[in-house]
Amino acid sequence: MLKIIIPTIMLMPLTWLSKKNMIWINTTTYSLLISLISLSLLNQPSNNSLNFSLMFFSDPLSAPLLVLTTWLLPLMLMASQHHLSKEPLIRKKLYITMLTMLQTLLIMTFTATELISFYILFEATLVPTLIIITRWGNQTERLNAGLYFLFYTLMGSLPLLVALISIQNLTGSLNFLLIQYWNQALPDSWSNIFLWLACMMAFMVKMPLYGLHLWLPKAHVEAPIAGSMVLAAILLKLGGYGMLRITTMLNPQTSFMAYPFLMLSLWGMIMTSSICLRQTDLKSLIAYSSVSHMALVIVAVLIQTPWSYMGATALMIAHGLTSSMLFCLANSNYERTHSRTMILARGLQTLLPLMAAWWLLASLTNLALPPSINLIGELFVVMSSFSWSNITIILMGTNITITALYSLYMLITTQRGKYTHHINSIKPSFTRENALMALHMTPLLLLSLNPKIILGFTY
Amino acid sequence: MNMFSSLMLASLSVLTLPIMLSILNTHKNSTYPHHVKNIISYAFITSLIPTMMFIHSGQETIISNWHWMTMQTLKLSLSFKLDYFSMIFVPVALFVTWSIMEFSLWYMHSDPYITRFFKYLLTFLITMMILVTANNLFQLFIGWEGVGIMSFLLIGWWYGRTDANTAALQAILYNRIGDIGFIMAMAWFLSNTNTWDLQQIFMLDPNLTNLPLLGLLLAATGKSAQFGLHPWLPSAMEGPTPVSALLHSSTMVVAGVFLLIRFHPLMENNKTIQSLTLCLGAITTLFTAICALTQNDIKKIIAFSTSSQLGLMIVTIGINQPYLAFLHICTHAFFKAMLFMCSGSIIHSLNDEQDIRKMGGLFNAMPFTTTSLIIGSLALTGMPFLTGFYSKDLIIETANTSYTNAWALLMTLIATSLTAVYSTRIIFFALLGQPRFLPLTSINENNPFLINSIKRLLIGSIFAGFFISNNIYPTTIPEMTMPIYMKLTALAVTILGFTLALELSLITHNLKLEHSTNVFKFSNLLGYYPTIMHRLPPLANLSMSQKSASLLLDSIWLENILPKSISQFQMKTSILISTQKGQIKLYFLSFLITLTLSMLLFNLHE
Repeated sequence: MLKIIIPTIMLMPLTWLSKKNMIWINTTTYSLLISLISLSLLNQPSNNSLNFSLMFFSDPLSAPLLVLTTWLLPLMLMASQHHLSKEPLIRKKLYITMLTMLQTLLIMTFTATELISFYILFEATLVPTLIIITRWGNQTERLNAGLYFLFYTLMGSLPLLVALISIQNLTGSLNFLLIQYWNQALPDSWSNIFLWLACMMAFMVKMPLYGLHLWLPKAHVEAPIAGSMVLAAILLKLGGYGMLRITTMLNPQTSFMAYPFLMLSLWGMIMTSSICLRQTDLKSLIAYSSVSHMALVIVAVLIQTPWSYMGATALMIAHGLTSSMLFCLANSNYERTHSRTMILARGLQTLLPLMAAWWLLASLTNLALPPSINLIGELFVVMSSFSWSNITIILMGTNITITALYSLYMLITTQRGKYTHHINSIKPSFTRENALMALHMTPLLLLSLNPKIILGFTY
Repeated sequence: MNMFSSLMLASLSVLTLPIMLSILNTHKNSTYPHHVKNIISYAFITSLIPTMMFIHSGQETIISNWHWMTMQTLKLSLSFKLDYFSMIFVPVALFVTWSIMEFSLWYMHSDPYITRFFKYLLTFLITMMILVTANNLFQLFIGWEGVGIMSFLLIGWWYGRTDANTAALQAILYNRIGDIGFIMAMAWFLSNTNTWDLQQIFMLDPNLTNLPLLGLLLAATGKSAQFGLHPWLPSAMEGPTPVSALLHSSTMVVAGVFLLIRFHPLMENNKTIQSLTLCLGAITTLFTAICALTQNDIKKIIAFSTSSQLGLMIVTIGINQPYLAFLHICTHAFFKAMLFMCSGSIIHSLNDEQDIRKMGGLFNAMPFTTTSLIIGSLALTGMPFLTGFYSKDLIIETANTSYTNAWALLMTLIATSLTAVYSTRIIFFALLGQPRFLPLTSINENNPFLINSIKRLLIGSIFAGFFISNNIYPTTIPEMTMPIYMKLTALAVTILGFTLALELSLITHNLKLEHSTNVFKFSNLLGYYPTIMHRLPPLANLSMSQKSASLLLDSIWLENILPKSISQFQMKTSILISTQKGQIKLYFLSFLITLTLSMLLFNLHE
């Protein structure tokens, strides 16, 4: 694992020692190389995990998320170039350092063996993200968004620390690899119910669960492009990853504790997607669509069947790439019209036909068009929830319909129709932007050829 | 026999060539549309060979499997099912598409993005082929959704127009509602039979199939625009005419019917679903026929007649005759595509005039289009020995002699009669009488692309029914004997419709409509259905999402309960504490309470 972590850390000196005109190209190429190295982790030859040391390991669940993390850094660097072009050199370097630091922490989080080190790293990722949001955001509301982001996550995850200490006392170990062999049922008591809540709430806030999601649209809207990308693509998935890891040792409490959260997610999924129908703000729409998709993941994790685990893992990866791509597209609009309001960027298809093609592809994957991996994820979740309870198909079906509606509403509003006069003189789309979209789209398309590698450890 | 599947696959894979080519070939190529048209004709000719072999050798089905992945207990494979349905449908669809492509060469010649248009049409055709040859539900779903999305792109082709965008979104919305049913059926089959392969599902023959079959019926309702989810079909006429001809006459909309035909082995023993299907079809066929009566847009009339014919197909499935329904799909493809193309020819010649009241007298100006339009209309109404006759007459006969729901059958008969009425109306208003269009229009139908494409379908509309129905073996037992009046019912109601419509049109031709009656309004406003359903539920939904979901919950309650109330609380307490009020008594009292509480707690702990 050090062969990924150390090069990532070495990105920082690279940034500071690079010449002025080379910082973007150097860091992007280098991080792309790192992501290519990490691809080898996807090859999991045995059912057991790849143990690298006492500290780090990777198994079929964490490997796809890890690869997604490393894949996203070059994309974030590519996306932020225009946003930072007016900044002085030292701030650019600082920004890249922040992204690299976040990246390092995320890699370590996804590969941590010990639950407690997972927890510490999980919390540590907040710091660079907070700095990115509050320092490089565009409006003054970014401070408020940063507060919301920090305090929601902190408040959610503090009880987890207490719970972890208690588990350590109970079992004597917090090792992921050992804990899966500790198959004792927790006794049925009030304190164990609180233990369950403490363990799950940290990740539910991070996902986020409907009702605790307020920080997400704010943070997404206010964050700079790289912040939005990493939030949507990876930080939300930390919650899903944590839930998948920790539910294995919370039986049998999950079977009855899950009901209120299942209901909340099913209900919130419809609520948030119907909010999307009324959004005028492009980034906010994408953020709410993330909440709605993550609700599916929560449902899948709480149902706890092999099929639902596969669906959850696949959906996390698919959504990571899709929402990140949508944010990039939104940003490319923003850089041209200087507004996130959708109605100000009408009819762009006439002016930027290639970008319209990317918009189309991104919207189609967002609404889970077969045979994309988004469909595989959503389909598995729907299947498992249907076999859990037949009635859920009504809610799921409604959500599928609304998802299609708002995705296409977004597409039609921004791309179709007559273009307005104030966008007559916009810049054409750059090769950098097209490459960025292509790098998002290629994995999505290639993974649909062989979705096995992202189906997680129950596959 | 190896020739069989390899030729079939060759004909299917040759279709993907132009799309592959477009990736390699970056610069614009003006001959691209011609290539696409030629490729489709090659695919058609190639596919004829396996079809003839299939008919000749009388096989039942060939299934090819290519393992994709195995998950838990489910094996997913790329599997093609080449049976009677797909073997007949593929050449028919290719033939019709070939003509439509040639027609679009003429119709779209001035469009700057004609290359992209052909690419879309081709992708649409490919997804349809995936749909009909699929042997498992997942693969079927790929085709199913692909068809839906391509229809979105094609209907919204003129994306500058608001109407086109609305129509495209409408199509997706109604299709998605149907998809809920499809996904539910998939989920049910997965959890109850643990397979998505068609033959395995049929072999297991699960009990209590009401739920999945209802789902499939819902899916078919969405895709085939049956009553309740029908309004997208007439609105889809916003797309270019070749699109209407391809999507909404012969290929996409029959996908729903095709799905029900595929799942017929499960349906044939389920009486509940059958009567539901029958009633749904009957309502659709009558309702849309009524709507077609008073429309003035020539494409809308043809679109509603498509809807009505789809209802007839669903009725046929409801009376347990899937093979007849399939026959009707095939025959209907020829003359309906041709009707759309004729209307396209008229519209193009009259400078995009679609209103039949502003046409008239075209039989002098456009003799060829007129001939084809009349033959197409006659075939549609089931004129003996034209294509439509071979399927429609059989359907009505079988319906007459079956003893299911008499109301549904009566409605179907009325709708059959109304078919003749609205066909007469098109012929009467558009083709006969005096010209009512502007004098300065350059009418010209003498373009080889136009003439050849229509001519090909014209021949199809006359002979295809005879060939197809002659070359298939009777799969369900046909009705051997029946009284003469039953045999002649279909013909009689059609002739009745023709004469009535002709007489009424002649009588009322010079009358002015002073006050439109309620019956007229009902028909003209499509039964008030779009007025109600496209206003009230969206209004309710959107205001719900704005007012309760977005404002009340997200912006007020959730924000107030957690973050704001905490900060408020902290603010209040800090203000209270930081400013000394000198209330010594109160402070000591609170100190006392804390002290006693802590004592109590410590004692309890022991």
